[in-house]
Amino acid sequence: MATTEVTSEIIGSVWKIVKSQGDSVAEGEEIMILESMKMEIPVEAPVAGTLMEIKVAPEDSVEEDQVLCLIES
Amino acid sequence: MSFEDMLADLQAREEKAQAMGGPERLARREAQGVMNARSRIDSFIDEGSWVETGLLAVSSIVPEDRDKTPADGKVAGFAKVDGRTVGVVANDFTTKGASSSATNMKKIGHVKRVATERGFPMVFFGESSGARMPDNMGAKGMGVNLGNDPHQYIRNRESPWASAVLGQCYGSSAWYTCLADFSVFRKGAVMAVASPGLASFAIGQDVEAEDLGGWKLHERVTGLIDRVVDTDEEALEQIKQFLSYMPSNCSELPPTAPVPAGSDDGAARILDILPDSRKRGYDVRKIINCIADSDSFFEFKPRFGRTVAVGLARLDGKTVGFIASNPMGKAGALDVAGCEKATRFTVMCDSFNIPLILLVDTPGFVIGIEGEKQKAPGKIMNFMQALQMCTVPKLSVIMRKTYGQAYLNMGGGRNSDDVVAWPTAEISFMDSHFATEIVTWGQDASEETKQAIREQMDKDSSAYDLAEIYGVQAVISPADTRRYLIQQLEIHQLRLSGGIGKHRMSAWPTTY
Repeated sequence: MATTEVTSEIIGSVWKIVKSQGDSVAEGEEIMILESMKMEIPVEAPVAGTLMEIKVAPEDSVEEDQVLCLIES
Repeated sequence: MSFEDMLADLQAREEKAQAMGGPERLARREAQGVMNARSRIDSFIDEGSWVETGLLAVSSIVPEDRDKTPADGKVAGFAKVDGRTVGVVANDFTTKGASSSATNMKKIGHVKRVATERGFPMVFFGESSGARMPDNMGAKGMGVNLGNDPHQYIRNRESPWASAVLGQCYGSSAWYTCLADFSVFRKGAVMAVASPGLASFAIGQDVEAEDLGGWKLHERVTGLIDRVVDTDEEALEQIKQFLSYMPSNCSELPPTAPVPAGSDDGAARILDILPDSRKRGYDVRKIINCIADSDSFFEFKPRFGRTVAVGLARLDGKTVGFIASNPMGKAGALDVAGCEKATRFTVMCDSFNIPLILLVDTPGFVIGIEGEKQKAPGKIMNFMQALQMCTVPKLSVIMRKTYGQAYLNMGGGRNSDDVVAWPTAEISFMDSHFATEIVTWGQDASEETKQAIREQMDKDSSAYDLAEIYGVQAVISPADTRRYLIQQLEIHQLRLSGGIGKHRMSAWPTTY
């Protein structure tokens, strides 16, 4: 089993979390949507697996490279 | 001495030179999983193609060093890579830290000169401690030895240069990396003007090597590096891949490659990637992958200046350069780093006869004090001037937004040879929301008034409005983009010069 950190590509805030802890995700599947510069930026699963932990909540500010969630695969 | 003895003597000298800094030092590197200068060359080149120059060279400054400086610490020569000739300089860190001195600088100069005059690429495997001491100390060190070559750092881009940062890179290894058209950095290596030790002694700055010149700094902050990898082997592979797109010199066309099966299938998937909402971001690299030949996109600086994605790729087997707004970064608004990246890439492509394709979805330039402090207007004009001086074919595809000066920077207004738009395109001076706020500034306008102004501003900003005044040459379905671009590249071939551009920026800097 390997754990993959899903990180933010941008500085912004969390607009909407689409998936829940424990959900299975396919590679490329949308996990959450960030907001930055009035744009909605999707965060997609880099690998398929199970969403083990979501480390942010809606309206949280996020920094570039901040870990948003963990996927176990 | 008999002929037999003479040949035995020659063989002994060669073996001593090939032994580099000795078995103990080589074993230590091997234990750390780090290749040495000669194993890097062996791994990089076509088997049996190595032609070394200066194998028997040694230190010519300090007599006591003659027996301690096999090949004078820099292994140089010529070889074939995928059947094409290249010049190679590999630093042997086990020999006096591959420091620069009189003899080895003559070796580098020779290989560079031959590569330039005979028209083939130069490859540097960087790992050097800087200028050798005491060789370069004092008036004689400087006046006779270090840098007494007025052509040493001239880049006229006659042939492609690539460099790998594979260890400590101070001095020449850093300089040649910065002058290269493509650079790759192995994690754990360091590239800086001077070592952390010198920074500590000279200015009292205690800094870790990684912070001073590690991969994160160069990948994300300075942008001096094009790719970062985990191992030496990957670094060498990346250079090979880069060279596969490039002509051997500026007077040749880039090589062609077979078109992978399924390459025509991707364009139909573009609409699955392009969001319905104009407010939704997407990764433009997925769109590039749909347009280019399968698996051919080779990105430069993926984590620097991420408002724009640039890289080499193939379209119908021919090398092209993509410059694409990336809405995943700052909504695709061009920032200083993005402009620097696009400028450098434009100059490289133009210098080596590589057509450019611009994919456009930008709300303009990033504004605000940070950009101004970083000379944003100058950076915008560098990019603009590069695009206008470019003489290779340029094609622009307006995918969604293209506003203001950024419209021109991304090829609009006749700054590309052909501009095509998708039906999703929006063309204006700026977003109507911002424009309305500006024209109603200080007027206490009602929301109804603002809405009416916004609607007025939004008129005449569609792809069809631009097509009516021939501001775009066509409006096409995204699924037709690959076919359209292949046709346009055929039309815009530089037939009068055999495909060779004018290279008006070949002497432009390699760093902005």
